[in-house]
Amino acid sequence: MRGIRCKQTGLIFFPAFDWAISPTHPEREERLLYTRDQIFEEGIIDLPQIAEFTPSLASIHDIARVHFCIPRVETQTTEAHLIAAGAAMMLADQIVAGHIDNGFALVRPPGHHAMRVVHGNRGFCNINNEAVMVEHLRSRHGVKRVAIIDTDVHHGDGTQDIFWHDPDVLFISFHQDGRTLFPGTGFTYELGGPGAYARTINIPLSPGTTDESLLYITDNLILPILEEFQPDFIVNSAGQDNHYTDPLGSMRISAQGYARLTEKLRPDLAVLEGGYAIETALPYVNMAIILALAGLDYSYVREPDYWPDRFKETSQRTEQVKRLVDELLKHWKNRYATQAGRVKIVNGYYEREKIIFYDTDYIEEHQVEKLRICNNCTGYLSIESEANQGYGQARKVLCLSVPFGACSKCRNEAADLYTGAKKSVKYNQIYLQDKSSDFLLGYDTKAGKEWRR
Amino acid sequence: MYIGVDVGGTYTDAVLLEQNQIRASAKVPSRKNLLSSIIEALDTVLQGVDTSRLNRIVFSTTMITNLIAERKYAPVALLLIPGPGLSHTYYQFNTMTRILTGTIDYRGRETVSLKEQEIEAAMAEVAAQGFKKVGVIGKFSPRNTSHERRLELLIKENHPDWEVELGHLVGGQLNFPRRVVTTYLTAATREAFHHFLNLVRQALAQRQITAEVLILKADGGTLPMENSEKMPVETIFSGPAASTLGALALTSPGETAVVADIGGTTTDLALILSGQPLLSAKGARIEGQLTQVHTLAVKSVPVGGDSLLERVGNEIIVHGKRMGPAYCMGGPVPTPTDALRVLGLTTLGDQARASEAMAILGEQGGSCIVANRIVSLVVESISSQINQMFQEWEQEPAYRVWEIMQKKKVRPSTVVGVGGGANGLVGRIAEELGCRSLIPPYAAIANAIGAAVAKTTLQLSLRADTEQGSYVLQEEGFEGKIESNQFNEKIALDIVKERLIQMAARYGLDVKPEQLEVTRLEVFNMVRDWHTNGRLIDITVQTPRGITGRIEAGGQ
Repeated sequence: MRGIRCKQTGLIFFPAFDWAISPTHPEREERLLYTRDQIFEEGIIDLPQIAEFTPSLASIHDIARVHFCIPRVETQTTEAHLIAAGAAMMLADQIVAGHIDNGFALVRPPGHHAMRVVHGNRGFCNINNEAVMVEHLRSRHGVKRVAIIDTDVHHGDGTQDIFWHDPDVLFISFHQDGRTLFPGTGFTYELGGPGAYARTINIPLSPGTTDESLLYITDNLILPILEEFQPDFIVNSAGQDNHYTDPLGSMRISAQGYARLTEKLRPDLAVLEGGYAIETALPYVNMAIILALAGLDYSYVREPDYWPDRFKETSQRTEQVKRLVDELLKHWKNRYATQAGRVKIVNGYYEREKIIFYDTDYIEEHQVEKLRICNNCTGYLSIESEANQGYGQARKVLCLSVPFGACSKCRNEAADLYTGAKKSVKYNQIYLQDKSSDFLLGYDTKAGKEWRR
Repeated sequence: MYIGVDVGGTYTDAVLLEQNQIRASAKVPSRKNLLSSIIEALDTVLQGVDTSRLNRIVFSTTMITNLIAERKYAPVALLLIPGPGLSHTYYQFNTMTRILTGTIDYRGRETVSLKEQEIEAAMAEVAAQGFKKVGVIGKFSPRNTSHERRLELLIKENHPDWEVELGHLVGGQLNFPRRVVTTYLTAATREAFHHFLNLVRQALAQRQITAEVLILKADGGTLPMENSEKMPVETIFSGPAASTLGALALTSPGETAVVADIGGTTTDLALILSGQPLLSAKGARIEGQLTQVHTLAVKSVPVGGDSLLERVGNEIIVHGKRMGPAYCMGGPVPTPTDALRVLGLTTLGDQARASEAMAILGEQGGSCIVANRIVSLVVESISSQINQMFQEWEQEPAYRVWEIMQKKKVRPSTVVGVGGGANGLVGRIAEELGCRSLIPPYAAIANAIGAAVAKTTLQLSLRADTEQGSYVLQEEGFEGKIESNQFNEKIALDIVKERLIQMAARYGLDVKPEQLEVTRLEVFNMVRDWHTNGRLIDITVQTPRGITGRIEAGGQ
């Protein structure tokens, strides 16, 4: 989607002024209020370089193409979720059609902690806006290779989970070290499934990291990888909680740092994620990102308590960051090397177990994920998931996901598994998600009812 | 009895209404000696009328619009206090502009104070360049007026003869660049507008008219003449507002309609949604500059009855300019009016000359075919603009879930034609859009009727920040303290309603609290560390909009 810059930056501003997780929750009505005031007062929507759009809603089908919502999409989404995901999709459509140069979906609620299977809300997220948008682009516009750069202070574990086995989606996340912050993951050894090795890259940073290190990582790790990966579309999961005033994160990134990062990444589409310093960071960081996307001078954007060189990187940290970059580059260079010894394949299947905690809704989920190792496609995935919510009964479901470009063997095997499981009493619900034919089914064993999305 | 007078660039129209009936009307050329045109129009409608029976007289004018178009206004220097944000290099306003230190943030807190030395230096520069008019505009000044007011004080102390316009008084919405332009145009046009009002005063004095005098605004409301002096830019675009209100007065209530005012070279389009004229969401665009001036959503299409037509290869092109009257009326070049004449859609002008005009444009013998092509061309270009207007309205950004869920597709049921070129074209436009067409009686003087029936409208906005313990009444530039910790939206609403009623009384308007419309009400809890620390309350209240009555048949 690169080209000579002559078009506009598309902006969807959807602050959801009538939606909150709870009245005092960080994800509440007030979150983008001051951002709105700043953007409106600056008059940037009037600038010829900016085009504002009104979002449309994502459909249930669009959501089901990505997520297994337990039990139904309708029970896990509100209209606000559909609007936020729909906003990202709409801007992506405009970009692919060549109507705008790039875009920023300045929307809430956020999404990057939402995984493939959704039992409830994790890390303020139910629906992964970026993933819904990316799978829409691949399904409807034939976009092949996508890179997602997650610049939120929290590890984008939801996005990582969804694209873990997908060699055509590069996921890079930098974040505050998981030992010091939710969700506690995102270490350098998390590198993707057996067929998509090093297409997941995690860059954990120690608390207090400044603009300098961030830009070093961008120049020496992220940009070289992007250059080699050659994506058709670049997405930025633009969390703003690396800001030095964020109440949840402990990093020291400034609005200027965010602007320079955006300018270097040159994403096709940025989608807002977290960021909870609603007064001291968001109005400035959002301004800076919009200006940087539109190729406008952002050098006058400054927080009231910021001055250049306020934050200096220690030499110790600089060394640490260099070592981190070198280590990750090594993994990236070895991405096509043999799988032998790396993972255990039993009878042509790769299996892993996961325990997932939903902090907002207090749910614990246990998953057994099985990938068919296939020479003709990336292989279908089966997930057996069991979750216990509060004092309620455990719910067990089977989720079958067939990838884009699946071979007929994988498609048939997944379909047979689905049909077979319908007769079993082991599961409450069974789902078949065939992305290769955009065919989505669900079945409730108790009610004996099937539905198509 | 009401009089409406529309002082346009070409004609001055007037109408006399008595109990919603048209008693008399006039159409007089607008001459260089504008006073004589106004007096002639008044004399025509007042023939045999006792002027003491007049209740009110409303003027609308395109005077200011024309002044701005021709850039005939006094020089204005700008002192801006933008603070951080958009680069100052983008603030190019085509006049002497000085940037001053100082910052107010989005909640109206001062984060950087003014530097008096810098202000003095800037004043010296402005003085050296000989400016006598200064616009002072700060970013977020409607949230905290202190910087602008401090500057005004310093200027008045040093240069008592300068005229100073403050941004927060003319541009209370959040949009700094538009506030700058609006303030600049206010400063620039005040004198000329004053001159126009003096002409009106002279005309009325000469005819001993003592009725209440009002000026129409671009949003279709009116202001008493004395008060309108403060807001000259509000009269910009009152021309289209006049014809839209006129169309409203001439059609049945509650309709969703398009008003097409088809003139010589331009067609002005306005939308009426369920009986209410649609207001522009952001403000008027004046000569390519974006302002905060409240205006009806009007679109000007450069196509009219006298547009120049030209044949280029096999194509016929409609140009945006006028070379004179239509060929059939003795003009120099073929026009859409000639095509209408050939097709019998109008009875203006000479049939033979109209056919001749078609021959200039096309092959011989097929004048009907050529005429049809021309009419289709004009109809298509106007219809597509109408569709686009509805689409733009649907596409208006929404920031709440319920607003997005409510969005629906609306299309007009009627095309109302007013203006000179309406006769032949409106039927075809309506056909293209699948609506019925309506050319009301008196369509040619709909603008003057609109002025006559316009209601006085006032609005007042309150913004309270209970954490900071203060509120601002934006249109009045008044800052109040919040004494009680019980302050809530109900108390805020009571304050703003009471103040608006007082304001209305000063404007000679008798409004009851229950008649006031709340057009905006936003309440945000400010939560810090999981506790509600305060509330932000934003309220806008206005007096009822609309028209004094619908025109009934009869009269004249």
